[in-house]
Amino acid sequence: MTKMSQERGIFSRLLSWTVRSPWTYRVLLPLIEAANLKEQTYAFKIWVRYLLWMMRQGCSRKRKVIWMSAFTPVELAYAMDAVPILPEIVAALVSYLGRAPTFLALGDSHLSTDVCSFYRCALGLVLEDLLPPPDVIVSCSYLCDGANKFFSYLSKKYGCPHLLLDPAYGNGQGAVAYVRGQLHHLLEDMGSVLGQRVNLERLREVVRLSNKARTNAERVNKARMARPAPFPGSEGLSYVAGMGFCSPGSAWGVRFFESLAVDLNNRTKVKHGYLPQERHRILWLHHIRPYYRNDIFEFLSSRGVAVCFEEANYLYYPPLDPDNPLDSLVKKVLSNVWRGPLERRIQAVLAMVRDYKADAVIHFSHWGCRQSCGGAAVIGEVLKQRGIPYMVLYGDGADPDNNFPGQTRTRLQAFAEMLG
Amino acid sequence: MEEKNLYAGIDVGSLSAEAVIISESTMVAYSIRKTGASPLRAAQKCLGEALEKVGASKDNIRAIVSTGYGRLRIPFADMEVTEITCHAKGAHFLFPRTRTVVDIGGQDSKVITMDEEGNVRDFVMNDRCAAGTGRFLEVMASALEADLANLGQLSLQAKKAVSISSMCTVFAESEVISLIADGYKREAIIRGVHESISRRIFRMTKRLRVKEEITFTGGVAKNQGMVKALEGLFGVKLNIPPEPQIVGALGAALIAKEKDFRVV
Repeated sequence: MTKMSQERGIFSRLLSWTVRSPWTYRVLLPLIEAANLKEQTYAFKIWVRYLLWMMRQGCSRKRKVIWMSAFTPVELAYAMDAVPILPEIVAALVSYLGRAPTFLALGDSHLSTDVCSFYRCALGLVLEDLLPPPDVIVSCSYLCDGANKFFSYLSKKYGCPHLLLDPAYGNGQGAVAYVRGQLHHLLEDMGSVLGQRVNLERLREVVRLSNKARTNAERVNKARMARPAPFPGSEGLSYVAGMGFCSPGSAWGVRFFESLAVDLNNRTKVKHGYLPQERHRILWLHHIRPYYRNDIFEFLSSRGVAVCFEEANYLYYPPLDPDNPLDSLVKKVLSNVWRGPLERRIQAVLAMVRDYKADAVIHFSHWGCRQSCGGAAVIGEVLKQRGIPYMVLYGDGADPDNNFPGQTRTRLQAFAEMLG
Repeated sequence: MEEKNLYAGIDVGSLSAEAVIISESTMVAYSIRKTGASPLRAAQKCLGEALEKVGASKDNIRAIVSTGYGRLRIPFADMEVTEITCHAKGAHFLFPRTRTVVDIGGQDSKVITMDEEGNVRDFVMNDRCAAGTGRFLEVMASALEADLANLGQLSLQAKKAVSISSMCTVFAESEVISLIADGYKREAIIRGVHESISRRIFRMTKRLRVKEEITFTGGVAKNQGMVKALEGLFGVKLNIPPEPQIVGALGAALIAKEKDFRVV
């Protein structure tokens, strides 16, 4: 072994030890609290605290760790008193912190560069041993097929089971009973792996918390219908969407969305827009945006173009009933508009355009994402038929080396010019 | 000349820079030169040359609009507008019945649809790389040891095209060199290159609602082989401006006149 690789090994081990130590998060919490977060919303502070809690709990092994894919009902993890870790969300955070290239390079040694950069980055984090190992992995067969290949590999690497929620494509006859059966077995299997019995009372409480968070999220979304737009879409696509994925079923989610709802309602009461002058309103499609440093949203803002809402925060499922917790989760799974036929997503997009009074729509086309981008042209056709300007913006959510600032700027500017 | 009655548009592209001067009613001069390493220097020289042709100076200009990839680097411009808006505006001025513009520039190609007043309604651009652009043709000309200006004429001499499958500029260059080594005729290879680019552009148009008339702009529109290949795919005759390379700059000058934002 050369001196250089020895040094890199020591650094790598030190980094892993630091990131995996629960004490890191104990120390970080007061430091971050003391740092200048005055400009951020209180909800943002809750998000930061949640992340530190998640890592501390996972690293201290006080709770079992369940790795999950986005859109797998995260309530299942809270019902087991476990801590859920969503590698996509962690990868987005790493990209936001400007560290993605290091881990993408590691991930690229195992995966084709055509694979979604969030998973390539997450694999890099795994290879560097920076995440609390899972006791069990739970994912769903929708929306992202790549996720399951990734999780399947990880289950072998960590020697833990990979459980899959796999509903039928459509919502035809028998779909409810089928998914209910799947969720029931999933909970039993999770309980068996984690060495605990499924507690129905705990599941009811989790669904109650999830529903409370949903009610608050609904208030947030309603406030965002106001003109001028009270909240920037760039933040909607970062920590708000992150909490939408990670927190339902926990007290964190209730507090987060309640705080944000209060904040946004205060803004709308005084007609406080996030832009000094709002000229146009844009709906952003796809659940992600580029998280590394870029000037997409600053540029749109400079042109008076407000990203008033984003698909990522669309509440696609009906209120949950704590008295029927399993059926509520079944409905949540089956209501997912990004699962199954594209018509459901199209109807949701049209509803968002109407409710948020969007003048135009941008569909972010993330490199490697077949699920979302596969429908981009059809959605565009439907919107254009209704006279709604639409643009597909090509880019990469996590990999800054797959970013084309000049070309992106020209497209955005031409689109803004087109809106007048 | 003492009056302040001129408007200028400057299009600084990756390969060439163009300046167009217009008066209240007509285009009075233009200039084209290579961009080189400094977009600002290219813009200054281009504008200077165009002004010299009409015996005017910068003082005679009421407003300047910059466009093209170097548009942000022209501090003396009053406004910067994208080449998409400018090509639509310029094409509409030259051919008022234009509803679709195909522009192949140095590093990007775009298809723009517009309304009867020349306002952009939709557009698509090439994704990520320089395949299907002027730069692609330049590299192929170099690989074939042919003069870029003669590519069109050479391709028209070919009875059949040789299929070029690579669209990556670097890989296509290797493919072309291999084809030469395999003994294929240069003319047939050039025709194959034109057809390959045209197919790519035509595929882009499928994402839009293309309507006639179609105007072909940008330096590549001077290439008769490309015009023929595109006309074959579209099945209609394309409008070719007398000087296709200056349409973006012309559009910029027209916008300068429309805005007339400089207080005299």
